[in-house]
Amino acid sequence: MIMTSFEQGRVHQMRIHVLPTKRFKTFAISLYIGVPLEESSVTKVALTPFVMRRGTESYPETLQFREHLDDMYGAGFGFDVFKRGDYQIVQFRMDVINDAFVAAEDSLLQQSFAFLGEVLTKPALKQPEYRNRYIDAEKETLRKRLEAIVNDKIRYAAERCIEEMCKNEPYRLHPLGERKAIDGISSEGLLEHYEHWLQSASMDLYVVGDTSLDEVQRLVEQHFQLQRTNETTYHMTPSARVSRDVQTIVEKLDVGQGKLNMGLRTSITYSDDQYAAALMYNGILGGYPHSKLFVNVREKESLAYYASSRFDGHKGICTLQSGIEIENYEKAVDIIKKQLDSMQAGNISDLELSQTKAMISNHVRELGDSAFEMIGYDFNRQLSGKSRTAAELLKQVEQVTIEDIKRAAQTFQLDTIYYLRDRKGE
Amino acid sequence: MQTIQHPELQETLYYEKMPNGLDVYVLPKGGFQKTYATFSTRYGSIDNHFRVVGGEDHQVPDGVAHFLEHKMFEEPTGDIFATFATQGASANAFTSFDRTVYLFSATEQIEANIETLVNFVQNPYFTDENVEKEKGIIGQEIKMYQDNPDWRVYFGVIEAMYGVHPVHIDIAGTVESISTITKETLYTCYNTFYHPSNMLLFVVGGVDAEKVMSLIRENQAKKNYGEQGEINRLFADEPTAVYQQRKTSQLPVSLPKCLFGLKEKKILELGEEQLRRDLITKLMLDIMLGSSTPLYQKLYDDDLISDGFGFEFNTGKNYAFSIIGGDTRDPDQLIERIRTAVEEMKKTGFDEAHFERARKKKVGNYLRMLNSPESIANEFTNYKFRESDLFAVLPVYESITLDEVNARLREHFDWEQLAISIVESPAQA
Repeated sequence: MIMTSFEQGRVHQMRIHVLPTKRFKTFAISLYIGVPLEESSVTKVALTPFVMRRGTESYPETLQFREHLDDMYGAGFGFDVFKRGDYQIVQFRMDVINDAFVAAEDSLLQQSFAFLGEVLTKPALKQPEYRNRYIDAEKETLRKRLEAIVNDKIRYAAERCIEEMCKNEPYRLHPLGERKAIDGISSEGLLEHYEHWLQSASMDLYVVGDTSLDEVQRLVEQHFQLQRTNETTYHMTPSARVSRDVQTIVEKLDVGQGKLNMGLRTSITYSDDQYAAALMYNGILGGYPHSKLFVNVREKESLAYYASSRFDGHKGICTLQSGIEIENYEKAVDIIKKQLDSMQAGNISDLELSQTKAMISNHVRELGDSAFEMIGYDFNRQLSGKSRTAAELLKQVEQVTIEDIKRAAQTFQLDTIYYLRDRKGE
Repeated sequence: MQTIQHPELQETLYYEKMPNGLDVYVLPKGGFQKTYATFSTRYGSIDNHFRVVGGEDHQVPDGVAHFLEHKMFEEPTGDIFATFATQGASANAFTSFDRTVYLFSATEQIEANIETLVNFVQNPYFTDENVEKEKGIIGQEIKMYQDNPDWRVYFGVIEAMYGVHPVHIDIAGTVESISTITKETLYTCYNTFYHPSNMLLFVVGGVDAEKVMSLIRENQAKKNYGEQGEINRLFADEPTAVYQQRKTSQLPVSLPKCLFGLKEKKILELGEEQLRRDLITKLMLDIMLGSSTPLYQKLYDDDLISDGFGFEFNTGKNYAFSIIGGDTRDPDQLIERIRTAVEEMKKTGFDEAHFERARKKKVGNYLRMLNSPESIANEFTNYKFRESDLFAVLPVYESITLDEVNARLREHFDWEQLAISIVESPAQA
């Protein structure tokens, strides 16, 4: 496998991972900064990268900051905030052309590190003359982002299902935090929080492209003004076992189509030896167009356009989603429950087994063609503490038997049914 | 087999026209695990009125091209997804205004998967029963889009601009229009638009070009396609003026969504001139409204736009328009502010520094796109169907002058051609 060979180093208690390759026309850089997901900090953590992307010491005005990126042949720069298990991760990404294709004066890799280093350690957030303006504006942006979740009903229903299912766990929190907490964040409070976050968070820096570990370490030493004393690692806790009956939540909004979501809990997570069997469970149930949900809900009954499942291996949660005619709720729930039962009974054909293996294996092999996908895959190792190369995963998937999937299926328990429907009858 | 070298991009493209007229392109990508293939027909939602030379006129219900796309996946032997799954390939398809694309990506059994792709698209199987069954599924797809405010505001602006040209018709049609589709409708459209001479196969990834070509050569030689006359797509005259100045819909949204469009007055034939105008327009919009422009920053600072603000220029057969906008607390103020700023820019023109920066950014984005087999295949086909060439884009960007961009700015922003689409919550109305 091409994608197994990240070289590893460490600078300023930040883990460095470099994959030297000439396959791409770009350098891909990704920095993951992770902290435990907690109600007291989730909104501040979410707000921080929004403010950091406004400007730095050398480019304090946002306009200068963005013009500089354009001058680097339109370097891609972005950030994301997401959950992995009970952790809140901020990711900064850069994507810049390999100098070999353009006539750049200074190395674009060098320029990218100078830029990212400033974003991280010298943001305009530190400068009193910019701080309040940027924080106020980005609080507004964050508020709008949180309020906009309801616009996309597919995503909204998915978020709400998780929120209800995990209402007594940190995982209920949205990665962008809580609207009600935004007003209470002061400029001083955010600055203080940023300094603490920089000190204490887990940091993993990835680079894929025509470079070397030595070069990257040198660039980090030169451009990242960090003073971190401790290296922090991730400790995943699997999904809490909840012993209660299946809860059903019905919510009403102005919608034309009903959104039916379900959440299942499993004790199997990424670090588990049964992980490959859990992937197969999800694949056979609803990962693909040949899967039970697609075939039975869509193709056989014409009840839906989409009907699928997704497995979050860090949290140990499997979610199902479908969009249906409003009055077909009971019929759809019934058909979906039958698919869950048939998984537990081990009613899986050899064809379903081989097709799903082929699809998962294909997906794993394809990761190697995208720099950011390779980075994302390797980051699983940091999150879970479990090293499983793509080649190992392929082998484990290949060895899974129907009996293994049946055994894994016993651990998947339906927890929550969430239904978003119209307001009729209110 | 023809070899087309692009040394500046370190890419080599192989091309062959099959005796039945099918265009085949192969772009080998050393070191890539996956192969991505698209099999595309010049047939989309706008092709609802047509005649093959020597044949009769056909006017078909809205949403047929998309319906046909759905039904192609069904074979007498069952669902073709299952075959692809057995061969480890992830398959899909999509329909746009002017093309329908079938695709797969796979890392193994590449030759088998290419054959499956070509064979299933060249083997229609429509029955009364399977056509009826699909109506329920597509009905839910249509309902899903109706609940989606981004789709509604986007289609709303096209509906406001165009009253006659079928670009204003939703790609999936409506629940009513698809109810009239029969297997005969599907066969009529299939037999017209799925002739190999109207299609293009693109294969990119870790493949050997000659192997792929000979596979296709043999595959096509086994099939009997008669000669097909030219397809005439019939478009009624679209007035120059917009159909409707403002269109408002209601859905629950956190902030109003506002897009406005400028309908192009001058329609160009597909080809090089159109490609050049497209690229000039895109560059112009970027210099004006890109996220690194003073105007964008000012609108953001004044809380009139947010990160989702964007713009595009869209062009095809007998239509061309720009669309600008996003979520905003005050649609009218947003439009007024942009309008005032644009009028100012028209007077002064853009300066050289902003022009060069935007050009550099476009060049970088173009090179980044070449990392993605999916983007290459889709963009290449898109350009070919517009009778231009994806690999000609870089030299065009390099040759565009500031004067051309300034002239285009003054030509395109004609406020007589403005149409506005807004989606707002019932409470905000």
